[in-house]
Amino acid sequence: MRLPKLMGFLSLASFLTFASLKPAFAADDVIRIGAPLALTGGLADEGKKQQVSYAMWAKRVNAAGGITVGGKKMKVQIIEVDYQTDEKRAQQIAEKLITQDKVNFLTAPFGSGHTKVVAGVAERYGVPVIASVASSESVFNQGYKYLFGTLSPNGGITENMAKMFTKVQPSIKKIAILGREDVFPKSMANEMKASAERAGLQVVYNETYPVGILDHATALSKIKSSAPDWIYISGYTQDLVLARKQMADLKITAPIITMITGPAYQEFITALGPVADGVTSASWWHHSAMYKSDDVFGSTQEFYKDFLTQGKGDPDYVNASAAAALITLQKAIEKAGTLDKVKVRDALAATNIMTFYGPIKFGPNGMNQGRELPIVQVQKGKVVPLFPDVIKQGTLQIIK
Amino acid sequence: MDTYIQVLTNGLMLGALYACIAVGFSLVWGVLNIINMMHGSLIILGGYLTYFAWLHLKINPLFMLLIVPPLLFLLGYLLQFVMINRVVARPVLTTLTLTFGLDMILYNLMNVVFEATPRRITMDIGSVSFMDVVLPGDRLLAMVLALALTGILYGVMRTSRTGRAIVAVRMDRDAAALMGIRINRVYAVTFAISAMMAGACGVLMAVTFPVTTNITGLLLGKAFVVCVLGGLGSVPGALIGGLALGLIESLSGNWWGPQNAVLTGSVLMIVLLMTRPTGLLGKAGYE
Repeated sequence: MRLPKLMGFLSLASFLTFASLKPAFAADDVIRIGAPLALTGGLADEGKKQQVSYAMWAKRVNAAGGITVGGKKMKVQIIEVDYQTDEKRAQQIAEKLITQDKVNFLTAPFGSGHTKVVAGVAERYGVPVIASVASSESVFNQGYKYLFGTLSPNGGITENMAKMFTKVQPSIKKIAILGREDVFPKSMANEMKASAERAGLQVVYNETYPVGILDHATALSKIKSSAPDWIYISGYTQDLVLARKQMADLKITAPIITMITGPAYQEFITALGPVADGVTSASWWHHSAMYKSDDVFGSTQEFYKDFLTQGKGDPDYVNASAAAALITLQKAIEKAGTLDKVKVRDALAATNIMTFYGPIKFGPNGMNQGRELPIVQVQKGKVVPLFPDVIKQGTLQIIK
Repeated sequence: MDTYIQVLTNGLMLGALYACIAVGFSLVWGVLNIINMMHGSLIILGGYLTYFAWLHLKINPLFMLLIVPPLLFLLGYLLQFVMINRVVARPVLTTLTLTFGLDMILYNLMNVVFEATPRRITMDIGSVSFMDVVLPGDRLLAMVLALALTGILYGVMRTSRTGRAIVAVRMDRDAAALMGIRINRVYAVTFAISAMMAGACGVLMAVTFPVTTNITGLLLGKAFVVCVLGGLGSVPGALIGGLALGLIESLSGNWWGPQNAVLTGSVLMIVLLMTRPTGLLGKAGYE
């Protein structure tokens, strides 16, 4: 192949990567919602989960004629832009969506870190931004007036886990905690330490691992020598898959193994196969919940059924929270009766609604109110909720 | 005591893999004076080929050691012959920019085609243990194969005509050209060997680690540190550098926690750069 031809092919291929950056057309009777999404790069899976749910919501809303704004029905349009899991690009794209595409409202991308970046831009321009996947309070304590998030604070998770596990298995005395040096995983590790101590457990190992680590053998070997009854590791899917596998290889086990938030994602279970069994975790939502609501989905079951038709397996909390975020925005627009950003922002702040995903009521910092978040365990390859009692489908199984 | 033996074996097993990651990178840097930014992505490409062959065609990952490296050899040869050779004599920044660009293309293509989901070959082959020390079977195998591959490469470099030509070009390009060595071909073969080693390493990594594009930069970073520790452009240098880094990370992780393991490796790299810039085994010639 001659060089120009090859270069042409390669540049075409790379161009296709950016093909989702198509310009959005503007129409006056449409509500434009900007969505910076990680459709390629490290968080591509997570970004696509948000994308699917946004589309499901938009389809239902538009099928019903749109959102009623001051007596007039207006269709919605989601303007998706791939920010390639690049923090700097997320910032640029948020700016572009606001200044060039003239979006009325914004959604935030996946994760606490990237949400913070987009929220900073939105705040500057006074555009309401709704975040579906940010649960660290450090994102919401920046004094932002236009940021609202549908996940509940993660504070309650470790407290409930410590209480529940020590009740079911009173012989648990020692816990080992290993956390990733990153916004969300690190806060989950710190909270676990505090909760464990309050529950009377002895913390025999408490370390963090850096983002640039390739291997967990050393940390795990040290954990093994401290003989814990409970091993708790926080991180992202690839860390947790590796850590669980290395534990199996190095014959390190404990009656309870918790990984935050690995088992909340199907990828974790698929990648690990049988060794995923027994791992406990927490999630923000489980599809066995039974909420009834007057939103476009109507109930958790209806959302679940609709989601299954997408051919992407069972929905997880990211899918649910992303759809709930847009429902919340829809309700706020309807209540405000206008697309005025300040008025919609005020309506969002006053939100107190029930959705298929659960109740949504924002605290003064813009974060959804605390509620009892599901504690789950992988049992025979399936995610089984153990807590709270309303969605409980099984009991804690001890790893032999 | 058992903990220490375990920590040391962990370090050696990781170190062998580091050596395998770095040996091809070191070769290209040493001989061609090219910092190949694609190296991490080439390893992951090898990993993906292995994974999908296992998933869809049920091919044993180790069998892919016979298929993936030749494929990447070909890819490497073409890349060097068609593109990199055009700028190979330019300052190092030019070639670095080119390989950086190629890396972005390859990385994004893999993201589009394979997606970044961490995938894993669920072929657990158990562990070997004596006393309280456990050696995971797949890592042990990866270590042995990594050492064997590095050894074979060393042998080829020392004994074959191509190997001697590569060494000659590394020592003095102009003199080698005057002796009738076709420089461009040697460059292409060197780059191809480097890509082949990356492919082999990818196969071994796919057996032991989740395959994901998220870690391409991480692998490249490890290759850098290993090269500086061991010395550029020499197979034994990469081996010593890799094993040293594995042991350093393992021991410091045990003493000061994993959060300081990577830091310790980097600090040692800086110290070595100041005191012994050629690395532990580096010297002006090649072998």
